[in-house]
Amino acid sequence: MVLCCTGLRTAREFDRVLTALTAFCPAVEAVEPGVCAFGARGPARYFGGETALASRIIAAVAESGIESGIGVADGLFAARLAARTAGEAGATHPVLVIPPGGTPEFLARQPVSVLAGPETTVGQATARQATVGQATVRQATVRQATAGPEAAAGQDLVGPDLVALLSRLGLRTLGDLAALPADDVASRFGAVGETVHRLARGLGSRPLAVRPPAGDLSVAQEFDPPESLAEPVVFAAKTLAERMLQGLADRGLTCVRIQVRAVCADGRESRRLWRHDGLLSAAALADRVRWQLDGWRPPTENPDRDADDGITVLRLIPDQVVHATGHQLALWGETVVSDRVARAAMRVQAMLGHEAVLRPALGGGRDVADRVNDVPFGEKREPRLAAGPPWPGQIMGAAPGVVYPFAREADVTDEAGEAVTVTGRCVLSAAPAWLAADGGEPLRITGWAGPWPLSERWWDPAAARRRARFQLLTGDGRAWLAAVQGSRWLIEAGYW
Amino acid sequence: MGIASTEIRRISSTQPRLSVAAEVSGSLVSRAADPAGDGTLPVLPALRELLPRGALARGTVVTVAEFGLLILALAAGASAAGAWCGIAGVPEASVLAAAGLGLDAERTLLVPDPGHAWPQVVASLLDGCELVLLRPPAQAPPLGAQVRQRLEATLRRGRGVLLVVGDWPGAQVRLRVLTQGWTGLGDGHGRLRACCAQVTAGGRGEAAATRTRWLWLPAEDGGVSTAEPPGIPVPERRLQAVRAG
Repeated sequence: MVLCCTGLRTAREFDRVLTALTAFCPAVEAVEPGVCAFGARGPARYFGGETALASRIIAAVAESGIESGIGVADGLFAARLAARTAGEAGATHPVLVIPPGGTPEFLARQPVSVLAGPETTVGQATARQATVGQATVRQATVRQATAGPEAAAGQDLVGPDLVALLSRLGLRTLGDLAALPADDVASRFGAVGETVHRLARGLGSRPLAVRPPAGDLSVAQEFDPPESLAEPVVFAAKTLAERMLQGLADRGLTCVRIQVRAVCADGRESRRLWRHDGLLSAAALADRVRWQLDGWRPPTENPDRDADDGITVLRLIPDQVVHATGHQLALWGETVVSDRVARAAMRVQAMLGHEAVLRPALGGGRDVADRVNDVPFGEKREPRLAAGPPWPGQIMGAAPGVVYPFAREADVTDEAGEAVTVTGRCVLSAAPAWLAADGGEPLRITGWAGPWPLSERWWDPAAARRRARFQLLTGDGRAWLAAVQGSRWLIEAGYW
Repeated sequence: MGIASTEIRRISSTQPRLSVAAEVSGSLVSRAADPAGDGTLPVLPALRELLPRGALARGTVVTVAEFGLLILALAAGASAAGAWCGIAGVPEASVLAAAGLGLDAERTLLVPDPGHAWPQVVASLLDGCELVLLRPPAQAPPLGAQVRQRLEATLRRGRGVLLVVGDWPGAQVRLRVLTQGWTGLGDGHGRLRACCAQVTAGGRGEAAATRTRWLWLPAEDGGVSTAEPPGIPVPERRLQAVRAG
């Protein structure tokens, strides 16, 4: 049975189709983008016939907004042709079932041009379908070159040249071709001709190359009655973690992160990702579970409290599974986060959330705020902007000790009490004389420098900024980094 | 992410050389933070004269009246020597400036908003970091004596140092910047180059005697150095006014 989807735009959509299909049949082969095949005999018996199964699948796929056609025949090649016919825009019914044994008859009616791919068959196809068709031909050619014609049987494997030659020889349909003696076809057209001849007779079908569904690597334990104390849950977590790590190790895998999911009796759920990198032991994982539970529920003073509070399911799910390639520590030049620090940081993360504990990464950028990127503890420390390239426009000299996460509003006025403005060409209306931050007491400006214009990322409307920056010195001995943006004064940092 | 010592052993059973390297580097790091071995954390050379034993005594609380370069400089010396530094409750702390003073950003943890449970957060941080820089949240209720004593006990047990922005009743050393002046900025020209600050330190016990020093904070090269008394710059405008008078 072959499912042929038309009008697919992205691989993600096809992924959705495959997911919908696995509900009916776990072993599905994705033949090419938009086309997938699976054995129909088993599921058809279960769902009450091939037509019934096909209608259900079409309905399921249509739920995700994708049109499709299904063809059923004795072999991949014929089934694909049937699916293509069924999926065409003008088709009366989206399912075409070729009865068992009727495949040679169905094939005999097909023109030889089907051997070359859909673009010649579907003469009036839309542009999008034609694109899919081209992709098909290319893929088939590659396969032919690498795996030989036998492996490619069932695909479109001949170019338009052979099709044109067959037509010129008067072989209009596959039936005409099939009627010829196999020996003659082989001697005239070689191995490709032989394969085509077998296809035309409805033979030469290869078994489906289905990918077995991925095994479930997660482990879970249910608690009945719900467990309201943390200790038994943590104890169970240790056993679970051992099982999960063993399961991963048996497959030669490891994972980057582990998701711990705890479900309460009243339906609440706590999920948190913990960095693993193949380094955590079962006991260390159990610690993570304990911290997560501690942070999630305030410690219960009364152990026999309402049982609604208890945990019913604890599940450990490996995230980002990768092949275990071992881990080599650097001898020098890499700061190893000691276990003590990691424990402390994770305990705080368990209390306040993953994003609450940060590690700074120094990078490049024109602004003081851009040059430090804070990365949650446990994630890869990487500055957003590389420090390497020069950043013209950086303010040179001393770095401010205080950088406000959100710039503070300010008023800067001249001697006459008028607001100081900056024109688009960086001309000041007057020398700044008074600075009032956040509407506070005005401070006398005793020295200033600027404006230093900065126009950044004009190509990206969301990140574009155009500002004129100043350094201001006030009478109390402090210095400020201020900027005019959109004719407003902002204080970005303080030097003290 | 950290590697538990047990994990190092587990990995090392097949790679014995690796474990020796990891343990050696680990012990180097822990010893580096306390080179003298006398229960202190080192500070930058220019700050030594301000502190009673020329260093931050472990298990003590040191306060700085306002958040700024001074407290970052206090943390920088220990961090450069290999200590982990946690910064809690100061979202505007500039790691860039601190790194210029010597702080190692690799060994820094930031908890910008410790929330209402900040004593527990600080206690947890003190378990992992030898130095914790804290500004208690402003809107939080004043710290009860019991909570404070419990934190101080954690501090003494963990042999860490707590740098507090603002006031802390039991602090051993209190520092503040009395005056400061920047050089390099004119009237519409120049740029900030260095800052001369007068820092005073007092406290109780061996820190009872008040010490006052002039420091370049930061100096032109970005570090901290001691300054001669007339180092404080007079703003040019004031100078002109004097001349005109």
